[in-house]
Amino acid sequence: MSVASGNEPAVLSARYMAWYRFSRNPSAVIGGLMVLSVILVAILAPLIAPYPEDVGAAVDFRNRHRAPDFAHWMGTDKVGRDILTRVIFGFRVSLLLVIGVLGVAVPVGAALGMLAGYFSGLTEKIITGFTNVMLAIPPLIMALAIGNVLEPNLVNAMLAITLLWWTWHARLIYRVSKSIATEDFVEAARLAGASHWHVLTREILPNCVSVISVKTTLDAAFVILFGATLSFLGLGVKPPTPDLGSMVADGRQFLPEMWWGVLGPGFAIFYATLGFNLLGDGLRDMFDVEV
Amino acid sequence: MTSLLEIQDLNVSFRNYGIVSNVLKDVALKIPEGGRVALIGETGSGKSVTSKAILGTLPENAVVEGGSIRFDGEDVLTLSRGKREAMKGTAFSVIMQDPLSSFNPVFRIGRHLDDVLRFSDRRLHERSDAADRRRRIEQVLRQVQLSDPARVFNAYPSQLSGGMRQRVLIALALLHQPRLLIADEPGTALDVTTQDEIMKLINRLVSDNGLSLLMITHNLGVVRKMADDIFVMRHGEIVENGPLTTLFKTPQQAYTRQLINAIPPLYGPGVEDQPAVDADPIISLANVSKTFEDRGIFRRGSSHRAVDNVSLTVARGEIFGLAGESGSGKTTVARMIMGLIRPSSGAISVDGGAVGGDGQGSDYRRLIQIVYQNPGTSLNPKRTVGQTLSVPLRFAGLDARRTEERIQELLAHVELAPHYVSKYPHELSGGQKQRVAIARALAADPKIIVLDEPTSALDVSVQKNVIDLLQRLRDELGLTFLFISHDLSLMRNFCSRIAIMLRGELVESGEPRSVFADPRHPYTRALIAAVPVMSDEEDRLKPRTSIEEQRRYLADTVA
Repeated sequence: MSVASGNEPAVLSARYMAWYRFSRNPSAVIGGLMVLSVILVAILAPLIAPYPEDVGAAVDFRNRHRAPDFAHWMGTDKVGRDILTRVIFGFRVSLLLVIGVLGVAVPVGAALGMLAGYFSGLTEKIITGFTNVMLAIPPLIMALAIGNVLEPNLVNAMLAITLLWWTWHARLIYRVSKSIATEDFVEAARLAGASHWHVLTREILPNCVSVISVKTTLDAAFVILFGATLSFLGLGVKPPTPDLGSMVADGRQFLPEMWWGVLGPGFAIFYATLGFNLLGDGLRDMFDVEV
Repeated sequence: MTSLLEIQDLNVSFRNYGIVSNVLKDVALKIPEGGRVALIGETGSGKSVTSKAILGTLPENAVVEGGSIRFDGEDVLTLSRGKREAMKGTAFSVIMQDPLSSFNPVFRIGRHLDDVLRFSDRRLHERSDAADRRRRIEQVLRQVQLSDPARVFNAYPSQLSGGMRQRVLIALALLHQPRLLIADEPGTALDVTTQDEIMKLINRLVSDNGLSLLMITHNLGVVRKMADDIFVMRHGEIVENGPLTTLFKTPQQAYTRQLINAIPPLYGPGVEDQPAVDADPIISLANVSKTFEDRGIFRRGSSHRAVDNVSLTVARGEIFGLAGESGSGKTTVARMIMGLIRPSSGAISVDGGAVGGDGQGSDYRRLIQIVYQNPGTSLNPKRTVGQTLSVPLRFAGLDARRTEERIQELLAHVELAPHYVSKYPHELSGGQKQRVAIARALAADPKIIVLDEPTSALDVSVQKNVIDLLQRLRDELGLTFLFISHDLSLMRNFCSRIAIMLRGELVESGEPRSVFADPRHPYTRALIAAVPVMSDEEDRLKPRTSIEEQRRYLADTVA
């Protein structure tokens, strides 16, 4: 600890204050490390997986349904594939889903929210009205519909989730930008001759960034969970691609005797979801925003 | 004389982000039994921390490093938590600063008062029933001159005016007959006339009930009316203390002198007269009215006439002051001149062109600019000074190199060092932020600048610097100012002409010298009479008003 020198209170940079709050928050740091580990595992999957050949349609009936031991830490599944290997590769699919869904839903939702919040009148009415209609559709029904009309695969699962996910961002950013739009500095910028584009991207957007990043991190956990739900129902990734949700569905048939078939992938879902949630909470404390 | 409260060598430090800062350094203060003591100082001087230390409401990251606070001979810092809690509201109580945000809007006023009374009764292990408490509450409400306690008791906070809510807050502090009353900037959120009544009320309550008063304020005019002893604080230290008369007449410390000199005088030899300007009009309003319609879908809409038939002209190069209390319509007039809202009827022309018609584009913005009241909200917290200043320049079509040069030129105009370009608003003080806001207004090279209470969020000494800066800019750049304020003593010295508004109407206008020497309208007289001033001579020179006159024009604070 250092003592502020002189009579003037020390001026701390915003970055320092944010980092200080984040680093003093044990759950945030733990969450951050968990998310980091998930990402690293997904990237390095071919290097660290013990049986990389088990990712595909490999079959080894001599080793089917083996309980966890030193050779297979999470046991093997109904055709004798190493579950740990498939969990490690399963993270790849989950993160791909997160990136695919949020990469589209967040920018679209944020843009619509900002437009609705900044322009009052007809624009606001149309966007908020449309958002509310979309919010009224139950996500699972939407996903089932898309999965039945189109072919059930990863891209269509992404599409189904994305179609509904942007609404939450639109709603949140609408609320935030509507209050920012009434601030004096927005009027001052308009009086200074700034265009609407400038006001939206340079005056309002920077003030939304912290809210967006917190919401996005928390969303990542929900997208992983929702993706797992879809593939559990058979609407997600096609076998033999390893996916956490479909692995839980496979293992479920052999409960309760062969409990390891569910435990490994189930724990992986839990681990990734918890990690993103803790990190999101930590970021929320750090930025001091309400989501 | 015995002391009711005696603080010795009080040291308090705050821990923020791993950095320890000493907020109070060896503070010593004495409040005699029945005495009125004022603690004055600017933002961040530690006066509110001192009062919180007495009350025991310091935030969690504050640590009392040493010293003692003796109340009636007993050191409250060594008392147990329970005993300390029991002193709140009974030994000492505090009058809250902000009457507008201190109430929970969903509860009736009576509920607020009853809760406080019930819990403090329980702390003192006294039994009380609802009827008894109600009787005591109404008695206290009568004490603070709310003439219809039953109505106030059943009212929701939003149904009472600011002045009435301030009275309820005072009643809240008086419920348990405390011996020491701590007033933290009472009435600063209110209009001058209401503030004046609140001050009189507190004074009467203190002398009638034999209370002691600790007054915390930055307004020296208020201090003169409400305190016998004064302690001046700066950077967490008491720099000077003494009885009111000697301290005001012969201040020993340079800082105290600076504080006193920063207050613009209302009357007397120190008053500056701005030379009258004789030039062609640059702004003229003819019979301008503005009605705000609140159209409901299911109910009949209501309308509110904010500005009623106002005509005025502002000459080129003038500093035109528009005075009035909150809700008088002065900001609406300014916004109509800015072209931000259209008048319902009447015509406005600025620099020869009609406002509200076509051609409201960039040419108009180059003509008229605004400096807002609160520099905290008028600068984007996520953008540096340089980025903020570049907006008007970029949209005026300057290239990158020219923009850079012009930003430096603007910073020099407002007396900020070149390296401020890369600073964010939170790294600047209030005065520096306001300088940046002024620089932004100057960027477009306007002819007119609307100043919407530009100094009311600043400390007095900073206010003086900003006003000096504005004056210099007008002389150097030949600007015209439209100055909106409720601070009459500032307007007396800064404006070359003033107009006074009351409930949307213009009641009086003229040169400050004549308006202040001989106010025609009774409202003007009441307004000037309510301004807290620094000396008895000024008080004598104020216009006289009768109670009836005041009652007729002033905000209804008594219910």
